[in-house]
Amino acid sequence: MSFRAKSTTDDGVVTIRLIGDLDSRSAPVLNELIAEIDAQPVRRLVLLVDELAYLSSAGLRCLVFAHQKMGRGVDIVLVGVRPEVAETIRLTGFDRSVIMQDPVET
Amino acid sequence: MTQHRLRLREGRCAGEELAEFVRSLARQAGLDPQQVYRLRLAADEITTNIVLHGYGDAGGVVEIEGEAGPDGVRLRIEDSAPPFDPHTHDPGPRLGAADPTEGPEGGFGLYLALRGLDYFAYDYVGGRNLNTLVVRRTSSGGTDGQDGRAGDR
Repeated sequence: MSFRAKSTTDDGVVTIRLIGDLDSRSAPVLNELIAEIDAQPVRRLVLLVDELAYLSSAGLRCLVFAHQKMGRGVDIVLVGVRPEVAETIRLTGFDRSVIMQDPVET
Repeated sequence: MTQHRLRLREGRCAGEELAEFVRSLARQAGLDPQQVYRLRLAADEITTNIVLHGYGDAGGVVEIEGEAGPDGVRLRIEDSAPPFDPHTHDPGPRLGAADPTEGPEGGFGLYLALRGLDYFAYDYVGGRNLNTLVVRRTSSGGTDGQDGRAGDR
């Protein structure tokens, strides 16, 4: 599945919707987006990942990159993580670095 | 037993091509979705490691042979990069860190690969790295070893 990332910013909260497969081919796309966002003041980074079907270690390194670019004070929140993706995040200990939330019912 | 082959072109990391290769074998073997995901992840991490770190700028071909049978799926990933045994790679110290985003980047891919397999073996024969990956149909995946890692028997 191809990868798409769309971002919106509202009062310092950056929301990025990730769709498809985040692997070594697509990770540079997200890193580029993160680098662009870093040019503006960010209080919180929200990743909507309910449509993220696949996450490899290259995708995990995007989270490392986001942390490094935005600094300790910026929370990174993953919303709607699929079970297989959540397993990858937990196995590598990244659940200690990000906040994982269920999608908000509307 | 059904056999399939995939040849990754020089310098290219595996993507959808490899995913579909694994899915096709998994369908034939009747793996469950979680097993399919783990096998794809393992094959992706190992081939990506070969392309980026084994061959690097020099480039080279990665050949993947897959077999689907009633017991599950077996992949054999071959390359002619310098010898590298994924077993020798241990990201353990970083996994125990309070915050894995601290410290040097990388190191998680092969851990994820081996963790998700029921069996993994490495050989270096005739100047080629041979990686054998197995996910068994009846297994819940990645639970053969005491610590949850695939063993080399």
